[in-house]
Amino acid sequence: MKSGFFKQRYAELVVLTDSRVVMAWTAVLFVALLLAPLVLGPFLVAHVTVILFTLVGALGLTVLTGFTGLISLGHVGFLMLGAYAYAIGVTRLGLPPEVALLASAVVPAFFGLIVGVPSLRLHGLYLAITTLAFSHIVSAALLAGGKFTGAGRGITITRPRLLGIDLSSDRAFYWFCLAMFVLAVLVTLNLRRSYVGRALIAIRDNDIAARTMGVNLVRYKLLAFLISAAITGVAGAMMAMYISIVSVESFPFLLSIEALAIIIVGGLGSVLGAVFGTIFILSMPEVFSALTSGMGGRLAELMTTSAHEIKSVLYGLAIIAFLRFDPRGLRGIWHDIRHAWVYWPLRY
Amino acid sequence: MGYFIELVMSGLAIGAIYGLVAMSFAVIYKATGIVNFSQGELGMLTAYTSWSIATTIGAGGIVTVLIAVVAGAIIGMLCERLIMRPMLGEPVLSVVLVTIGLAVVLRSIVTIVWGAAPHKFEVAGVDTVLDIAGMGMRVSQLGVIALLMVALAGFWWFLKYSRFGVAMRAVAADENVARLMGISTARVQSVAWACASALAGLAGVFFAVIYGLSPTIYELGLKAFPATVLGGFDSVLGSGVSGLVIGVLENLVGGYLPSTLKEVAGFFLILVVLMVRPFGLFGEKRIERV
Repeated sequence: MKSGFFKQRYAELVVLTDSRVVMAWTAVLFVALLLAPLVLGPFLVAHVTVILFTLVGALGLTVLTGFTGLISLGHVGFLMLGAYAYAIGVTRLGLPPEVALLASAVVPAFFGLIVGVPSLRLHGLYLAITTLAFSHIVSAALLAGGKFTGAGRGITITRPRLLGIDLSSDRAFYWFCLAMFVLAVLVTLNLRRSYVGRALIAIRDNDIAARTMGVNLVRYKLLAFLISAAITGVAGAMMAMYISIVSVESFPFLLSIEALAIIIVGGLGSVLGAVFGTIFILSMPEVFSALTSGMGGRLAELMTTSAHEIKSVLYGLAIIAFLRFDPRGLRGIWHDIRHAWVYWPLRY
Repeated sequence: MGYFIELVMSGLAIGAIYGLVAMSFAVIYKATGIVNFSQGELGMLTAYTSWSIATTIGAGGIVTVLIAVVAGAIIGMLCERLIMRPMLGEPVLSVVLVTIGLAVVLRSIVTIVWGAAPHKFEVAGVDTVLDIAGMGMRVSQLGVIALLMVALAGFWWFLKYSRFGVAMRAVAADENVARLMGISTARVQSVAWACASALAGLAGVFFAVIYGLSPTIYELGLKAFPATVLGGFDSVLGSGVSGLVIGVLENLVGGYLPSTLKEVAGFFLILVVLMVRPFGLFGEKRIERV
């Protein structure tokens, strides 16, 4: 008799999921997300849209920091390049939006290769600092770019028509973001289970051992930078379409930190973790302000006067607390809950 | 020529501030093997605290320096005890990310408590302009350069001869062996944080006195980064000296080239240096064993 874990072919081992229950729930979730804008109010639709395009960026960082273990403190640089590549492509060069969207992946990917080169010589924190330097140089270059990059004033763009579909309504834009998000999830999940993904994870766990096993460090580290930068760049373009004005101020250094916070709080190195982390970090301030406004008084007053600071304190504390108490992040908690649910009343 | 010397001199003053912050990065790195990304924020918090105390009691120049050192040391010790101590023995990446979290929290707390509007940090007598070989330098600018020299000499002596300095180097060389020899890593970490925070605090106070007190002082941490990298993270003295190099370089670039380049001159320099020497100019090459 076959046991539950009986596998006959290699493909069965690396399949995304072999559980019908998981497939069913994923389908239900997907349909729910698809129908969400028809049911939810405009505020919630906007919130979910923000979550969706942030997730694409978080997945980009997951490939680099989560899978390959190369810490990037400058991911906002790629985000900025993607946004500017799209905006400049549409407004200055008059490209069709589809091509500009492609450019928003290609341009950051190219720069990703350039930033990736030092990663072959530098380790850990020195690399993190190089990426930090990179993001500062990008923003300085964009500020110095004069008319072409809009310098301090930025570039105003309108929502495009993509493949004949008008994205100017919030609903249409939501569906566009959902489609891009699903695409990004499929790319990262499939990357994770392919030869490339396993090579990246081997590099993260021990690069010298990986090299001995025949993983070409140069090729795969650069590939990690390339893929990560491309995905993040597309997220930048989506963000640009959403806020409809691209300027250096909308990409502060804090965004790099927020991205790191997202993948740590969610659970490093997993796609599900990135999803949890994004939802948690982005929804926490909203939930918190809703709670405090309910309580009223001094706290609510503080919340309105310094909302931005409170938000920063919250996610700073969230990073510290997760690293301190449960380094596995939200994904670990989810794992525990699922097991408790399946095996209750037994512990294992 | 006069313009050039003027740029160099004011570059030395700002460079001395970078140098102090860079030293504080190096002290923590040397003792604990992590980069403390909240260094600029610790400096900012110390500067604001010192400002509150100094203006209340109307302190003069020397007393303000003392207040900064004491306040910095206390703040550093508190952060270490509350946030960093429980993380002892965790992977380096986690600890570094905790310092990033701490940075975000401290920055916001300063804005919540003291507000976002800039203040003037007034200390009697420090704005007097002295004439040195035809060049006007303020007392505060000379003071910070002198202070960097004192700090460099002090740390040189501390690391070479004092019991704690030797313990610190032992922990940096090999944590496990140091523990086997009876050195308390926790206490070394605590002292390192106090020292580093006092250094960063001094830098913050001097920056506030010279350029005004505002919640953007934390950028000092980012600005001093190139200096630390240039000197090598594990070289306290190298970092201090590199601060001067970065300060002068920035000022020269700002003086002769477009001003946007000034912001990133240091970063360009470290990119080049790291490509040639991946462990900084004075840093030790780490030999990896498998």
